[in-house]
Amino acid sequence: MSIAAAHAQPPLTAGQKRLNIESFEFIWSTIRDQSWDPGFDTVRWTAVREELRPKMERASTMPQARAIMREMLDRLGKSHFAIIPADVYGDLDNPGEAGGSATAGLDVRVLDGHAIVSTVDDGSPAAAQGVRPGWEILGIEGVSLAPGLRRVAGQYAQSTTRELFLARSVLTKLSGAAGSKVRVEFLDAAGTSTAKQIERIEPPGPLAKFGYLPPMHVWFKSRKLRGDIEYITFNLFLDPARLMPEFGDAVHSCADCPGIIVDLRGNPGGLGIMAIGMAGWFIDTPDQRLGTMHTRQAPLKFTVNPRPPVYRGRLAILVDGCSASTSEIFAGGMKDLGRARVFGTRTAGAALPSAIDRLPNGDAFQHALADYISEGGRSLEGEGVIPDVEVKLTREALAAGRDPALDAAIEWIHARK
Amino acid sequence: MYLRYPLGPLAVFMALAWSPHVIAADEQLPKADRILDKFVEATGGKAAYEKVHNEKWTGSFEFVGKGIKGTATSYSAEPNKTVIIVELEGIGSMEDGTDGDTVWERSVLQGPRIKQGDERAHFLREAMLQAPLHWRKLYKQAETVGVENVGDQACYKVVLTPNEGKPETHYYDKKTALLVKVSMTMTTPNGEIPVENALSDYRGEFGLLQPHKVRSKVLGQEFLFTIDHAEYNVDIPKDRFDVPADVKALMAK
Repeated sequence: MSIAAAHAQPPLTAGQKRLNIESFEFIWSTIRDQSWDPGFDTVRWTAVREELRPKMERASTMPQARAIMREMLDRLGKSHFAIIPADVYGDLDNPGEAGGSATAGLDVRVLDGHAIVSTVDDGSPAAAQGVRPGWEILGIEGVSLAPGLRRVAGQYAQSTTRELFLARSVLTKLSGAAGSKVRVEFLDAAGTSTAKQIERIEPPGPLAKFGYLPPMHVWFKSRKLRGDIEYITFNLFLDPARLMPEFGDAVHSCADCPGIIVDLRGNPGGLGIMAIGMAGWFIDTPDQRLGTMHTRQAPLKFTVNPRPPVYRGRLAILVDGCSASTSEIFAGGMKDLGRARVFGTRTAGAALPSAIDRLPNGDAFQHALADYISEGGRSLEGEGVIPDVEVKLTREALAAGRDPALDAAIEWIHARK
Repeated sequence: MYLRYPLGPLAVFMALAWSPHVIAADEQLPKADRILDKFVEATGGKAAYEKVHNEKWTGSFEFVGKGIKGTATSYSAEPNKTVIIVELEGIGSMEDGTDGDTVWERSVLQGPRIKQGDERAHFLREAMLQAPLHWRKLYKQAETVGVENVGDQACYKVVLTPNEGKPETHYYDKKTALLVKVSMTMTTPNGEIPVENALSDYRGEFGLLQPHKVRSKVLGQEFLFTIDHAEYNVDIPKDRFDVPADVKALMAK
């Protein structure tokens, strides 16, 4: 937080300062009391409190206060610890205000240090402007992406979450209020630089709300590929009342198909229980587990409940470095059970089960409750799921309209016919 | 006739348990059967229980502090038929039920499932409409093991060993004779899960006192069931407790 930025924020009242200190203490004690890690160092954690509490007492703006709370969480070095500002919460009745989450209608992956358009939503403003997969994004709003990408890449150089944070660093800059426009400088497939003014629109799918998570758009798509393969993809494991039946219907619609492909690339996760429920449509043997969640007091098995009629054909799961959390639980578990073949690149390794509490200051606090060990005996945190078949995405393939991981999955399914 | 509700689906979300402080173990302890019979008297007496042939209650369910809430509806009929439906915002419907023999669970998340073994036995005990009257049939052993505080209430601690399943520890308020806490380990497909239920807000309806709030601690998370309205001897459709078609399909396999 720069001094200039801090000065732009209204100063906190005495009451707000007190609530921030209470929030700081809530976070600190929750982690002390609920850490699942048998090696959790309470002495070190107490020292963290003693170091940061005076800073918290001096914090004069909300961004400063949140930065100190985030610094405390960063000391843990784990995923699924976060502060979500109260103003991020949108009102379901006023979706346009939902945290400025409108998008340009495209997705991005950072490949070899370059931000590359990986998909363009049909009918989106980006599509209308002629933006194509394989184009490189050079800058946004006149600011070159390269220095920022280098910083993020350096910060996460040793982390499995590197790809996830690189993509997010670009997508965050593209997002904003619905109806606003973002100026994006591209390098097209022919190597020609071109600038586009793209209107931001609400992401596809209805808004879903779950607990203290901010409302999020959840979409689900399924279609037949080459006439005999069901392709299923969705952006989040949320809104189960809608998504679970849609997933089940898609599976059942292809009961006699040689294969089903579940594409979890870019899916950051959601409700862990949905992974177990979805697995039930593919596993016909009782007492099979995707993995085990280890809490401080007791292990909790992620046992799959078979849901007849169970699909018995080939199952391919597509993942990449932006597949996280519940996506990893599903992909890793199904791989370990030998029920699916996983294609793509290593996942984000951010798979700790977590809960979200409301803090006294109105913000929300996400905290991991447990470690998660896949059925193969590996912790997914910091490791991720390593695909059976590693298929890297390339700019050339995208520009040529190809999807190498999807192509590999289709080939595998047809080879096993 | 305790507050019955499904815990299986909840187990997926959480972590913990706590140990109440033992404040006295050397006083002369009453026998468990006296404590359990006194509970029946304190909540209305044998005659009042025997007047109840069925029950319907509506209420709410909440993941405490997590912003997740929903509605709950329970139907029960003698001797041991029950269906409980919880509709949770952002999750959907979860149903637990029994026709007195088959015990099932259904949800949009997990589909239908038939409960077996200890899990089935536990649900059938909970489903017994006049359970406090019949504890001698349901439990093979009951023993008072001490006095402990639950909050600021001194309670008799009674360990009940069911005919099938793991022992449960019940805490009865020394002053009121009411059951205020139950500690147990639930057997679920997800593993053995420690659960603590704190029962409170006893109120009288139809000559019976019943807890209107149950606060559960399950693996570090808290859940709150609240009864808003209870009715007895009401018209419940005869097929209300029939085994659902999707569960029957599982039985046929």
